[in-house]
Amino acid sequence: MVATPAVLHRSPVVGSRSAKTAARRRGFFADVVGLSPTLALYGAFIVVPTAFAVFLSFTHWNVDGPIRWAGFANWREFFSDPVSYHSLLVTLELAGLSWLAQTPVAMALGIFIAGTQRYRAIYATLYLLPLLMSTAGLSLMWEDVLFPQYGGLAWLGRHVHMAFLSQTWLGSPNLALYTIVVIIAWQFVPFHTLIFQAGRRAIASELYDAASVDGANVRQSFWHVTLPQLRYSIVTSSTLVLVGSLTYFDIIYILTQGGPGDSTRVLAMDMYNIGFNQTEFGYASAIATVLGAIGIVLAILLVRLSGFGSMEGTQEGIW
Amino acid sequence: MPTAPRGEEEGIVKVTRASLRLPRPLGRTAALVAAGLSISTAAAVTVPVTSSSAQSSRSSSAPTATISVWMEASGTPVDNYWVAQAKAFAKANPGDTINVEFPGATVYNSKVAAALAGNNPPALTFGWGGGRELQYIKAKVVAPIGDAGKSDAGNPSWKKDFVPSSLGAVTFNNKIYGIPVGGTQPVFFFYNKKTMAKYHLSFPTTTTQLLADVKTLAKHDVTTIALGNLGGWEGLMYLEYFTDRIGGPQVFLNIQAGKKGAWSNPAIIQALTDIQTLVKDKAFEQGYNQIDWPTGFPDALVHSGAAAMQLMGDWDIGNMQGYFPGWVASGALGIGFFPKVPGGKGNPADLEGNTTDYLELAAHISPAETYVAEKFAAWLCASPAYAKFEVGEGLVPVITGSSKLFASSPLKQYLVPIYNAVKHAPYFQYSWDQALGPKESTPLYSNLQKVLGLTETPQQFAKTMNTYL
Repeated sequence: MVATPAVLHRSPVVGSRSAKTAARRRGFFADVVGLSPTLALYGAFIVVPTAFAVFLSFTHWNVDGPIRWAGFANWREFFSDPVSYHSLLVTLELAGLSWLAQTPVAMALGIFIAGTQRYRAIYATLYLLPLLMSTAGLSLMWEDVLFPQYGGLAWLGRHVHMAFLSQTWLGSPNLALYTIVVIIAWQFVPFHTLIFQAGRRAIASELYDAASVDGANVRQSFWHVTLPQLRYSIVTSSTLVLVGSLTYFDIIYILTQGGPGDSTRVLAMDMYNIGFNQTEFGYASAIATVLGAIGIVLAILLVRLSGFGSMEGTQEGIW
Repeated sequence: MPTAPRGEEEGIVKVTRASLRLPRPLGRTAALVAAGLSISTAAAVTVPVTSSSAQSSRSSSAPTATISVWMEASGTPVDNYWVAQAKAFAKANPGDTINVEFPGATVYNSKVAAALAGNNPPALTFGWGGGRELQYIKAKVVAPIGDAGKSDAGNPSWKKDFVPSSLGAVTFNNKIYGIPVGGTQPVFFFYNKKTMAKYHLSFPTTTTQLLADVKTLAKHDVTTIALGNLGGWEGLMYLEYFTDRIGGPQVFLNIQAGKKGAWSNPAIIQALTDIQTLVKDKAFEQGYNQIDWPTGFPDALVHSGAAAMQLMGDWDIGNMQGYFPGWVASGALGIGFFPKVPGGKGNPADLEGNTTDYLELAAHISPAETYVAEKFAAWLCASPAYAKFEVGEGLVPVITGSSKLFASSPLKQYLVPIYNAVKHAPYFQYSWDQALGPKESTPLYSNLQKVLGLTETPQQFAKTMNTYL
């Protein structure tokens, strides 16, 4: 009874392989059919335009004439132009400052509203209000609040005798960028708060129990339990803040138009100006490509550095 | 000067932001086009029955066509007027159809540029001549406008229908590339007569006197000049006028011609220095670089007496009339030429501003479309009826012989002197931003904002701008 099973089994094995291949083929076919709407949309609205922008960055195209091959001319211009260099610096500054302004506040609020305090739901709703407002609407509101002499803040300054509140918040080159950072933070902190709230809620209470058994105080359990456990929330939120800030445009366009001078002229603003005012779509595409590339590199770096990509759960060993 | 506490006791005009809340106009271009449209929204849409060039070229063998005309939407009765005129023209010329279209306002220019390069461009597009049109001429996407059905020699029969200075911005190589379609928009100082009288000041005729007035008004906590320079074009008017008054018209013509180092001209340096003197003497209100002119805030400052004057295009008369009905018509607003700079070469009667708007003709269209486009443009733009409509809207037409139309206008006390100033101006310089085109105007705005913010010296400004020549 040694040889028979092999003989007996041979044909079923062969049969099952071809059946598996057929099944795999059917599965592949089903995958393609199932994914095709997504792939088509992704291709049409992400891949093709991105590829076209990269292509355009190697051309001169003023819209009023044919697309002409430019080689590296736009790229040379970008890297030698003090205006783009300055815009790149402002962009990175905005991204860095936005991270500094948004992450700690969002984390603190997220942890707070994940708790069980009284009236927490009411606070949470209040904090989230800015998230519901349109960017144009809130820009106009802030324009009025920050209006020199007659704005809400200046009014408050006069009535509570705090003269420093009456500044040209958006009209002074030393203040405008910081003011914009604060307004952007005001708009986006609620969103990041939600991320941290969800992250905090997902931390097993056993971890805190264990920490308290070990004699950890509140600060220690924050540093040794909450913060490490929130690692992926921090990565997600930071990626969104940093990459989002790179292309930030609307509040700046409405409130300062990149000014005064060029103190708030981020690359996205520069790109808009060069593309739609100066109708130089080749050069504008080079800027777009730079922004896209920085965004991708930043996202990859954050994922790599944090180990977010390794699919390792933060709760390993708990259950 | 008694040292009264700050407040109303001292006669300070208190303005609150809430009391200044004004309708938000669409923006600069809309303001340019609108130019006083709120004056008489009820102005009848009049259809020209006759016009100088309308019937002349009509013959039984005249080609017919359907053409598109692209206008920048102003959100005012002017839009409806154009549409109505297109219908009237089609009715009078069987076989012809004129489609007036309004592509989006914010990216109007890039849409026009793309359309002109395409296979089926609109036959006529609304534009501003100057540097942008020169770009189109170089790209061979626009053509000179002549008389319909005649070979063009740069001297169309309708040329005599317009004030000569209005054609400068569209005249290139002795050919005319646009037909005026709007009112003329020179820039003046508009001042609050009551405020000036209150402090016993007459409108300054020299910049020395202007600086003295700044000091006097500052003592009473009154801002001399209201400025909203968020867009950058508002502050540019000061540079344009100072430069003309100091160095005459040639200084800018050298810049426009791209002559090496033209921005370093001593007249430019002095003009920028004089602007910074105004800033340092606190001639402008706090936060001018952050204030958007179209919000109407500078108008409100002048109206309330918190500021004495502002430098603005004549469209501001209509704007003010819209904001403060009756106030402008009562004659409360004074008009002043930009003051003379002592020792300067420029003539104080020289003007700066937008000479007017234009209809520009596409190059890549069929002969029949060209024929119909030229006929329609002349029929619409050069007609006395159009001049009448413009006056009704508070605009100053560049159509010759318009002065008699002002008699019945409630704003004639403003429109007549403006019309005469344009007619007699020794030189009318087209706005630098429009003349130079977008590539130079963007850095011009931002560097001038820095000069006005005292974060850049005149020399640094000149050095930076020279790199764009």
